Amino acid sequence: MAAHNLKHALFCAIITLVISYPILGFNLESEGTSIILEGAGATTILGVLLAAVIVFLFQLFRDSVMGSLRQLPAINPLANRKPMEQSKRLRLESTLLTLMIIGALIWPFLASRGAVDLATLVLIYIMLALGLNVVVGLAGLLDLGYVAFYAVGAYTFALLSQYYGVSFWFALPIGALLAALFGLVLGFPVLRLRGDYLAIVTLGFGEIIRILLNNMTSLTGGPNGIGGIPDPTLFGMEFGRRVKEEGNTSFHETFGIAYSGEHKVIFLYLIALVLAVITAVAIRRLMRMPVGRAWEALREDEIAAKSLGLSRTAVKLSAFTIGAFFAGFAGTVFASKQGFISPESFVFLESAIILAIVVLGGMGSQMGVILAAIAVTILPELAREFSEYRMLIFGAAMVLMMVWRPQGLMPMRRIHIELKRQE
Amino acid sequence: MQDLLYFIQQLINGLTIGSTYALIAIGYTMVYGIIGMINFAHGEIYMIGAYTSLIAITGLAALGIAWLPLVLIVALICAMIVSSSMGWAVERVAYRPVRGKHRLIPLISAIGMSIFLQNYVHLAQGSRNIGFPALIEGGFQFGAEDSFQTSVSYIQIMIFATTLVCMTVLSLFISRSRIGRACRAVSQDLGMANLLGIDTNRIISATFVIGAALAAVAGLLLGMYYGSIDPLFGFIAGLKAFTAAVLGGIGSIPGAMLGGLILGVAESMTSGYLSGEYKDVVSFALLILILLFKPTGLLGKPEVEKI
Amino acid sequence: MSTSVKKLVTAIGASIAVMGAGHAAAEIKIGIAGPMTGPVAQYGDMQFSGARMAIEQINADGGVMGEELVGVEYDDVCDPKQAVTVANNMVNDGVRFVVGHLCSSSTQPASDIYEDEGILMITPASTSPEITQRGYEMVFRTIGLDSMQGPVAANYLISQEPERVAVIHDKQQYGEGIATAVRDTLEEGGVEVAMFEGITAGDKDFSSLVTKLRQADVDYVYYGGYHPELGLILRQARQADLDTTFMGPEGVGNKDINTIAGEAAEGLLVTLPPSFDEKEENQELVEAFEEKGEDPSGPFVLTSYTAVQLIAEGIEAAGSKDPFEVAEALREGTFETPIGTVEYDSKGDMESFEFVVYEWHSDGSKTPVN
Repeated sequence: MAAHNLKHALFCAIITLVISYPILGFNLESEGTSIILEGAGATTILGVLLAAVIVFLFQLFRDSVMGSLRQLPAINPLANRKPMEQSKRLRLESTLLTLMIIGALIWPFLASRGAVDLATLVLIYIMLALGLNVVVGLAGLLDLGYVAFYAVGAYTFALLSQYYGVSFWFALPIGALLAALFGLVLGFPVLRLRGDYLAIVTLGFGEIIRILLNNMTSLTGGPNGIGGIPDPTLFGMEFGRRVKEEGNTSFHETFGIAYSGEHKVIFLYLIALVLAVITAVAIRRLMRMPVGRAWEALREDEIAAKSLGLSRTAVKLSAFTIGAFFAGFAGTVFASKQGFISPESFVFLESAIILAIVVLGGMGSQMGVILAAIAVTILPELAREFSEYRMLIFGAAMVLMMVWRPQGLMPMRRIHIELKRQE
Repeated sequence: MQDLLYFIQQLINGLTIGSTYALIAIGYTMVYGIIGMINFAHGEIYMIGAYTSLIAITGLAALGIAWLPLVLIVALICAMIVSSSMGWAVERVAYRPVRGKHRLIPLISAIGMSIFLQNYVHLAQGSRNIGFPALIEGGFQFGAEDSFQTSVSYIQIMIFATTLVCMTVLSLFISRSRIGRACRAVSQDLGMANLLGIDTNRIISATFVIGAALAAVAGLLLGMYYGSIDPLFGFIAGLKAFTAAVLGGIGSIPGAMLGGLILGVAESMTSGYLSGEYKDVVSFALLILILLFKPTGLLGKPEVEKI
Repeated sequence: MSTSVKKLVTAIGASIAVMGAGHAAAEIKIGIAGPMTGPVAQYGDMQFSGARMAIEQINADGGVMGEELVGVEYDDVCDPKQAVTVANNMVNDGVRFVVGHLCSSSTQPASDIYEDEGILMITPASTSPEITQRGYEMVFRTIGLDSMQGPVAANYLISQEPERVAVIHDKQQYGEGIATAVRDTLEEGGVEVAMFEGITAGDKDFSSLVTKLRQADVDYVYYGGYHPELGLILRQARQADLDTTFMGPEGVGNKDINTIAGEAAEGLLVTLPPSFDEKEENQELVEAFEEKGEDPSGPFVLTSYTAVQLIAEGIEAAGSKDPFEVAEALREGTFETPIGTVEYDSKGDMESFEFVVYEWHSDGSKTPVN
């Protein structure tokens, strides 16, 4: 066995050298007008060698290392405890949620402006992830072009405000409904595709929407985007220093307080918070309604669900449409927060990040998705010192997370009723 | 006459780019055929192949070696070794531990791997576009001197020929060799193949290595043909190649060839007769249309619902 | 290695400065916002190096009204989303004067916040006309506009009396903006624009486009965009025996185009701001940069330097640190800077910003045309 291990360890070490040395050890530099090769510094080469040695040692003593790891007491003391009683758990969860919402309501008045702005972004991602959670987590449809509906929501508001002066509050439902309509129209033909075919078609659809937005310069401003998107108003009161729209009054003058830019940021945050809560509650309700059960039934076993009389197309379409609806919601808020949108905010990577949030959080689990949205948006901000390595770490974290905890941060718990045992 | 020459020229452009899509698409299609997952990081393997061959070419030039066949062969071998190792390592680290889990888990792992590899090369080599020397220049010209001429460059012929050779060899390999037979067995029923004494882990690794080696070939050829490389270009090409694989019917090697060629020609015709801005719209729309009428792609086997 | 050490030192310096801000009133914070990471970080480096140099030199000369300038640096990755976060952080940190941002798509949403909060912003790099067209009081720039550069190129082309010209762009804000200006000016000048078409930025295959250009039989091709794509177009055009003259904006005038296009870059026409680092009166400054081991020849180094200098001189002229008064002073005054004499119009654009047509050579050098 030892000989086999040695051979394998040696092989792995060599592979490590082969995949890292050529790329890290030689740098292509331009000198004047030609490309030359420069050897990397001694530290890099030492690093590469060290990595190979570590891989070698790990593979050599793999069995004993893994064995002793397994013998360690469980890191998570909660992992082996008995599941809490259903009713108790539900009560605990709802108390927790209420506390979280109260905390989120008070918090912006204490925090700094930059933090509140970032929190608004987090809430937008929460809305997006909750919406995608319906499609991917509950209905089990792999959607790689979710960002298209987000774009539809954002552009609807931007265009309506630019051409017709429509305010945020009117655009919000219109944007969401239009996004839902897009979901319906796209969903109708493609939903008979299965699994990965659906994935590539939705990916293609996302790209088509983005390219069209980029190309229809006369309507959407093309790559220039659309600027001057108004902020939301509170009963006709604007939050800017000066009133932009006729007939509106300004917030600070009405209440006779000094102007502060924080009002606007906090107001936007509160709107996003309310909408995120609405999204979460609405989806929570839907999950317990027949349509929600049907989504999960279809995800678990399509044929069984069909034989029970569920219409596959109708169920899938409803999931697709509702997911798109909330993306439209999020898009409208995003457009209002940015004041300026352009197609570069709606690229494929954005879809991938939203999908990563859903999967990291635990597919189908709302709490998990909310936690993951917070983690994915805030961690890169905290890791600004490592900003060059940010995306590298992000990618590695995605892989490691899938390998070690594929069920996500907080896996979805099935709501179940325990039947009384017969004595 | 002139219009015909123009058409032929665009057709040649399309076939060239289509055959490179096909070369990359094989990696997707083989992996999908065997373990049913989309290897999103395959485009990055192709990119790494291109970088390695450029490093080899520059290194040889610095050593004063300029004999073209030698340069090409050394660059190709270096690229294939590094890419194959990368393919093997990626499967080992990111895919094997999650095999058999829910369908989305390997996919997310693959997207993560793709982001990781992009940034790995970005950090090591910088984000700039780096020029790739054109080692093979010149070509044939058709048509009258003073009007539009159709030209076929040597490198275009080389790309087309290489793709054809690779496809043929690979098809023979899959249908005739022992590993090829094992591959087919694994793709039909992994558990059963395992029971019958096939080392399935080894076969899956072999699939990744073969796909990566072909991607490295594409990396070298395309680097020379286009003229520059950057850490992001693998992703875009990978997306196209994946589209081609699905178009032709994922899991089928002739399908990858067909899908690649159709996609390449559609793109070049759109640029040639409509506008370059819309070529991606047309290729994705074409994909959606074909899938609507043939939900498993052009040459894909219809899926039978098993209970 | 040295750049990261430098970054660390400046970061520490900046954070100490921020921490100390409450106590010492005798300093003026200048926010510098641009990409430190991401695909266009190389342009961000130019911006930071220029602004740092100006702050150092002004402080060495005794500061502004006896107070020290303190640079606070922010990374926006050229992402509109992060630019808004950066702008909000600046408000937090009490920054009243900003040099930035770099990409127009970042500058635009960030400037909404600056205008609202009464923060003075000077962008040393964003060329989109849209930025100064919204009647903002607090927005200035030290660089020309796409709508100024396009006509310079087009007028040069018109003077060559071509029959047909093709105009290509990369479908991005910068490229399409210039290309549109070029097309409009050409058409006014009676030149036939045979083709006006976009490509996809990041693409590698331009064989179809080149074939189309051969078919169109044009005398000149104008390309609006950056060097990676034009480099490939030049190279692929040469391989297909297309011998038209190409022309591009300052985004292509970069030595990297030579490593991609090789011989094919010979004869390319480029409109560039005059090389400020070659001006005689700037030689002292150039030496100061070289002493620090930095390259002052990048297009945004001296514009950033100028932006800081303008803020300092504006404060002196207004005799106040109030950004509104400084903005007023900038609009009224005339300033002598490394990029020439600066006078602002009511929108915050410079009255004049010169562009020169250069011919590019395959060894990476350039010579002015005519």
